[in-house]
Amino acid sequence: MSLENFTGGRYPLHANCFDELVAADGNARAPATAIARFIDKHGAAELCTRQLQLNQTISDMGVCFTLYAEGSNIDRAWPLDVIPRTIPSSEWQRTSAGLKQRLTALNLFIDDLYNGQRILKDGVVPAELVLDSKNYLAPCQGMSPRYGVWANICGTDLVRDEQGTFLVLEDNLRVPSGVSYMLENRTVMKRVFPELFADSTIVPVDDYPAQLWQMLASLSPRGEHVPPCIVVLTPGIYNSAYFEHSYLAQQMGVELAENHDLLVEDDKVWLKSLRGKRQVDVIYRRIDDIFIDPLAFRADSVLGIPGLIAVWRKGNVAIANAPGSGVADDKVIYAFVPKIIEYYLSERPLIQNVETFLCQDPLERSYVLANLDKLVVKPANESGGYGILIGPRSTQAERTQMANAIKDNPRNFIAQPTLNLSTAPTLCDGTLEPRHLDLRPFILQGAELYCSTGGLSRVALTKGSLVVNSSQGGGSKDTWIINDEG
Amino acid sequence: MLARSVENIFWLGRYLERLDDTARLVNATSHLLIDSHKDTEFGWPVLLDVMGLDSAQVLAGYGLQPQNPAQLAQIEQAVMSYLTSSSDSPVSIRTACSQLKYNARTIRQLLPRDMWEELNKLDSFVQQHCLKPASRQQRYQLMTEISRRCQMVIGTVDSVMLRGDAFDLFTLGRHLERADMVTRIMDVMVLQTLQPTQLKRPRFRWISILNALGGVESYHYYLANNATGADADAIDYLLSYADFPRSVSYCFNRVAASAKGLPDSPVILQHVHQLQHLLSRQPLTDLSTVQLHELIDQIQAGIINLHQVLLGANVTEPQQLTA
Repeated sequence: MSLENFTGGRYPLHANCFDELVAADGNARAPATAIARFIDKHGAAELCTRQLQLNQTISDMGVCFTLYAEGSNIDRAWPLDVIPRTIPSSEWQRTSAGLKQRLTALNLFIDDLYNGQRILKDGVVPAELVLDSKNYLAPCQGMSPRYGVWANICGTDLVRDEQGTFLVLEDNLRVPSGVSYMLENRTVMKRVFPELFADSTIVPVDDYPAQLWQMLASLSPRGEHVPPCIVVLTPGIYNSAYFEHSYLAQQMGVELAENHDLLVEDDKVWLKSLRGKRQVDVIYRRIDDIFIDPLAFRADSVLGIPGLIAVWRKGNVAIANAPGSGVADDKVIYAFVPKIIEYYLSERPLIQNVETFLCQDPLERSYVLANLDKLVVKPANESGGYGILIGPRSTQAERTQMANAIKDNPRNFIAQPTLNLSTAPTLCDGTLEPRHLDLRPFILQGAELYCSTGGLSRVALTKGSLVVNSSQGGGSKDTWIINDEG
Repeated sequence: MLARSVENIFWLGRYLERLDDTARLVNATSHLLIDSHKDTEFGWPVLLDVMGLDSAQVLAGYGLQPQNPAQLAQIEQAVMSYLTSSSDSPVSIRTACSQLKYNARTIRQLLPRDMWEELNKLDSFVQQHCLKPASRQQRYQLMTEISRRCQMVIGTVDSVMLRGDAFDLFTLGRHLERADMVTRIMDVMVLQTLQPTQLKRPRFRWISILNALGGVESYHYYLANNATGADADAIDYLLSYADFPRSVSYCFNRVAASAKGLPDSPVILQHVHQLQHLLSRQPLTDLSTVQLHELIDQIQAGIINLHQVLLGANVTEPQQLTA
């Protein structure tokens, strides 16, 4: 089954890119057969109609994200492409095992850094890389959260190389976002394509909120016999991820608190409820850790709760992700993750990293400086796709600026080869064109490990673009794990 | 629920009711005014007075004079703009809807998904269709649709929302707003057009006002079954006939019922009981126009007090906005 009827010719596969739905011979891959059949049967007009219906559904459901634009905040409708991205469940099994392996190792690593620092003493990771990092938070030393787990919620960005092999692009261990869109994308798609869901080979995703609640509840310091009071801590309604904060609170049936709704008294954290103070057991924070307590970290933070860290250190409240987790969410540390996995687990990494050059290293730095036009250079501690140089698409002026930035602060930069990210057919102006995409699954670790079914597929809507961030014109696709194991 | 959310859920109820009531008011009065009844002594600007505004001042902002017969068409346009589509107007349907959405967004975790979705649909409908005042031909359709969509939200709340503090505060907000709107309508559209000394109150205009409140049929039922003598009129009916869901009595009964479960109920109930007492004190038919006017002023003052008690009693500190 090919997409010819729809595209009025051959679907224009990119050379040297793996396409998620279409094989090199132009035929649909096995998990995408049902979609190809649908497109073949109904054609272009129907697909466009469904896209309109889908957009209307998104507006009705109020699925949006907030952009900061020149001081004002604008709610934008969440962009979702009508064509889903498919992955066979057998492949997903292997991938999620690799993701769990990676998070397990990263948590052992963080716990070690704030306690014995065995890995630094053994010289596996250079001590100065960790200890000089602004993400290494001294007030967390000697602390060991429940189960020794620091990063309870992780969003790992995966990409595929030319052969179609998944690679880890980055680990987001601070306040990873996007899972609400993964869930809402599925709700929308089920309304718009009920016939495609009828054969029920698409594995459901909707257990995530329950899994998240269970994981958070497993962190409660008062144990499993007291019903835990869990809150989502948000910076407020003007935050770009507020939609997700309120969505997750609603879906879990817990309160959505801002800092002034919480207070510290008698070595406990309390929620100011309509019916008086209520003791808080678990805080799912969606605020960067350095803003969380002005007494422990940034004194100028207006988002924090004074005294929170002291309560946390006493073990009277759990914070997810634990403050200090960000030390492992650093693009320089990233380069060491395969070694970290081998060090703590004595296992080979199930998912590989993208080849990474550290500008810290003089040899690698000179290679990077000599090849800026071919590489992607990233600052070690930014997110949202900001501050990145994509060599082959950059101007001479941008490269010069980046070269100077690297020379000024080599520790702050890494470089990677420009990847031929995989593509998927995407509806663009009434026709299907390949667009690059990545995948962000969400992994939870508390008493147990859990990996989401698939994740959020983010797609670069501009032709040829590799930037998938929604803050920079990216869109999304529903991710279908198709059962191929009978 | 959070102490801070009291204000938002209460306002959510108020704004939703305001939206519905304003749409009904626009429709009913449009019919009345377009028909140009001989006995209508008021014109479009009165609608602004109903919303608690100074109509002369608002119209001056449009370069218009309320009494100028040559500007009638522009006045209609300006009043409609101010009541429905203007984003600068504090009382427009569009503004009320933005406020509704803002409050919903702030307390989304308390709202069932279905309600959230109906609110979104209502908001996108209003933001799309109330960008400028509708023409006379489209106005009826538009206002009816807004009212209908408000009812969709309320219907959803009724069938899926947890009965608890949030539901009680939402219901309370709706009925306080409704009592407020009904008394303002009565104040401006009935009493201000009567002579202070006039004892025998005329009936002609009330049918359209009852229309605005969806109560023509039940008023006829009331006349046929409950009224004590020929003097019973729409004012008694609107104030004290507690079986009619848009009467002030009904609203206060609902407010009292909703307040019962709240943590600060004694102080709230004390205020509600005072209001209920005002309506039950004496046969309202015996009151002169001046006395009725005074009564309505007292009710209005009581509503304002109750609103403040509700928010003051529960909100521990002013709301901070964090960027």
